[in-house]
Amino acid sequence: MDISHAVKPISLLVDTLCTDHLQGKDEVVRLAVIAMLSGGHILIEDLPGLGKTTIALALAGATGLSFGRVQCTSDLLPTDITGLSVFNRGDGHFSFIPGPIFNNIVLLDEINRAMPRTQSAMLEAMEERRVTVEGTTHQLPDPFMVFATQNPSDQSGTFLLPESQLDRFLICTGIGYPPEALERSIISSGGIREQIAGITPLVSVNEILAARRAVSQEIYLSDKVVGYIHALVKATRTHPLVQIGLSTRAAISLAQAARAAAFLAGRSYVAPDDVKGIASAVCAHRLVTRAGQATNRGELLREIISSIPLPLV
Amino acid sequence: MVSSSRLAAILCFLIALAGGIPIFAWLETFPRLVFAAGLIIGILQEFKGRWHLKNWQFNLTLVPVFIWYALQYSNRNPIQPVVSVLVIMLAARLCGEKSIRNLMQINLLALFCLASRSLFELNPLFLVWLALLLLLVPVSLVVLTFHAQDSAMSFTRKEVNRVVLTALLITLLTVPTMALLFPILPRTAFPLWTFLNPTVAGSTGMSDKVEPGTVSSVAEARVLVFRAEMAQQLTPPYWRGTVFNTIHGSRWTRTATVPSETSVPAGRPVIQTIYPEPSSSKILIGFDAPAEIRLPFVRMSPDLVFDYQRGLGRRMGYVVRSGADGLLRTSKAINRNFYLKVPEGTSPLIRQLAEGIKRTGATDQKRLELVEQHFLNGGYRYSRIGLPTGRDAIHQFLFVSKQGHCEFFASSFALLLRASGVPARLVGGYLGGEYNEVGGYYLVSQDMAHVWVEAYIAGKGWVRTDPSRFATNAGAVWNTDQKRSLAARLRLLVDALDYRWNRSIVTYDFESQVSQLRSAGNKLQALEQMIKARWKGLLIVFSGVIVLLVLFKLRLQRFRHNQEYRLLKRFRQVLKTKYGPGLATENKGLFELAAATNDEQVKQFVAIYAAAIYQDKPLGQDEIRQLRKLLDELSASDDTAVISR
Repeated sequence: MDISHAVKPISLLVDTLCTDHLQGKDEVVRLAVIAMLSGGHILIEDLPGLGKTTIALALAGATGLSFGRVQCTSDLLPTDITGLSVFNRGDGHFSFIPGPIFNNIVLLDEINRAMPRTQSAMLEAMEERRVTVEGTTHQLPDPFMVFATQNPSDQSGTFLLPESQLDRFLICTGIGYPPEALERSIISSGGIREQIAGITPLVSVNEILAARRAVSQEIYLSDKVVGYIHALVKATRTHPLVQIGLSTRAAISLAQAARAAAFLAGRSYVAPDDVKGIASAVCAHRLVTRAGQATNRGELLREIISSIPLPLV
Repeated sequence: MVSSSRLAAILCFLIALAGGIPIFAWLETFPRLVFAAGLIIGILQEFKGRWHLKNWQFNLTLVPVFIWYALQYSNRNPIQPVVSVLVIMLAARLCGEKSIRNLMQINLLALFCLASRSLFELNPLFLVWLALLLLLVPVSLVVLTFHAQDSAMSFTRKEVNRVVLTALLITLLTVPTMALLFPILPRTAFPLWTFLNPTVAGSTGMSDKVEPGTVSSVAEARVLVFRAEMAQQLTPPYWRGTVFNTIHGSRWTRTATVPSETSVPAGRPVIQTIYPEPSSSKILIGFDAPAEIRLPFVRMSPDLVFDYQRGLGRRMGYVVRSGADGLLRTSKAINRNFYLKVPEGTSPLIRQLAEGIKRTGATDQKRLELVEQHFLNGGYRYSRIGLPTGRDAIHQFLFVSKQGHCEFFASSFALLLRASGVPARLVGGYLGGEYNEVGGYYLVSQDMAHVWVEAYIAGKGWVRTDPSRFATNAGAVWNTDQKRSLAARLRLLVDALDYRWNRSIVTYDFESQVSQLRSAGNKLQALEQMIKARWKGLLIVFSGVIVLLVLFKLRLQRFRHNQEYRLLKRFRQVLKTKYGPGLATENKGLFELAAATNDEQVKQFVAIYAAAIYQDKPLGQDEIRQLRKLLDELSASDDTAVISR
């Protein structure tokens, strides 16, 4: 299968973003693109000021997709996100004003500050890819991708997303501080917000949709790799430190993300390496560790992965 | 090239023949004619264009036939109507249109026809027909499967051969199942039809009386009477059946109340198994002088005549223990008077002859020798034609015609003995037998029926003397050194097959099943004991077998992935020597390794190798060559490795 024509624009997008605009954030950009290609959403869990919003903006700008932003607070209402009907006096009837969710890329900033009621309304829209307001169903645009962020350190007055909601994010990742030299250059050159506003789109919507089709249809997933994924999922279920292991949905998501990763690597088949490379981002946030075990879930997952032999023959 | 419909039609005619011919002899005239007509019409239709007769028209004509035979059906006549209807239905189908459904019906009806033959007769020929059908029907079924898919299909000679081969395989596959079912299934040792309507079996050739002079000639009937499984004897064996102890006029009969005697056959014991052909007789026959017959419901008379109460109506076999010396030793004196009775009307000439012997010889032994002398020197001829007839036939034989068959010899001899004061009786049985080397048994037919004499010698017992041996032409009559012609040998071979069939198939009855089961049980017990005795050795053997199996399986798996395994192993080895031991030993994916080494050749290797492995494609020859080349380059470019070596 020849997927090179579909890969080309996407790899150009990733390369440009990583080298020109988002230095040092290669991994997050790659994960974001993987989430976009497999039709999933991404949750970025890190401290403020590390460039979460910048990444979302840069991605939206470089893909030419529409961008919406919701800053979550405790008094945010579901209709603030979905939109609402307003009485138009001139026409004499209600007309629907779409909310910020009606965009291709939606940034939900500090999602854990919103009330559970609002959170669940958002997450439902993420899952269903449509919004029902006052009895009318409105389809969300395609492609549709949510960039959610949450601040793990400042816990007062927040509503932590429960595990079942976390499960709806394909990928959950942190950003981390940039390397020293890079940070120095960033300090000296200042922020890049203005620069991002001027990014010219590198790919068209059609190219993105074609790439997504290629990911879902033309990437071969061998039984050996399926066996590897299954072995991984099974290992999490029997690990002594894990209370609830990975669900079947997690395994499906892992396979999807691995397909997208293989696509990004320019291959028409999934290698166990793809699974291994993406597993931490896809699965760590879905693990429920045993109470009293203060283990980093990412570390735990890496440990489990390293214990499973890769199918090499 | 032959079209599938033509092939199917030819096969169906063959199958109909194979089903119809075996039953043909047992049919009434009407079904016979219908079957023949149906077959001819069917073949004509097939090869000379079709006649426009619809199937339903045939079916309609079958209705009155059905009704007619349904009316014929009764408890006394349950088989013929059913078989007739079967054959007529087969004939109707043969004439009719050859749709797939009809062809299948023909196959089934032919099988039923053959099966119904077993209601009349059970013989090995059945097996031949069955084998033929079992081969033809699968061929037909395979052809019909093709025909059903595409009726315009045609077969080349090669394809026909393959179809036949497939059918042969199907048939062969059923053989183990048949072998498994054979000991288990219930069975009948006689044709069901005979069981329902017992027919009168032919007589054994050994009658219940000896009366010379009633017919002027005796026809030879070469009908099998029994087979005796035993070693071949040097002289023609005597088969002792019944004893005639009473004489009225010229007629010898058997008086059922035999005076008690203590006869024991002398000589080395001979064990034999006798398989009599079914007959109406009740007398069990044994070699020379049977001492014991191991069979329930057997009544033994004091003179060693064995009666089987159930009769020999069905196929069976029995074991006999005999003495081979032709002598019955008696420990006590016998009732001499009973065996000395001479009829009133015995001719004076005979009495005169006997008186002479009585006077000359003082003892039984001497008198017996004198009578033998008389026969030896009398110039008597053995003959089956030109026999003396009438009331004084014995007199005629002794003094006038001097020719007759064994009955004349024996009855006159015994009469002379009795008249000269030696107790004597006639023994009826068989003399000789054709030994079948293939089967290891004697074949005894009706024409071997024989009568001889037992004379009582005081102090010795009953001595067998065969007066027919004193005939001048005895050597020519009982010439045993005849060379067997090819036809005779062939006949013996066929008979051996028939014998095997009867022994191992037909007489394989419930008792045999039980004994088989019992022996299986015994063997199981023996096995258990064997296991108990040598469990250690068995354990070692068993675990050895398991280890071998595991090794074999592992080897198989390795062999399956051999190429890939070897390539990967070498790849790792190369990486280890080139980049240090830490790299390849970790649980790393191929692409991880490639990225870690950042070596163009490693990347190429991984790209080719992984593309095959993770797309479930086998590595092509070109790819393998390429990969080997890459590995060679990788290890060659590693200068440090070369130096360290």
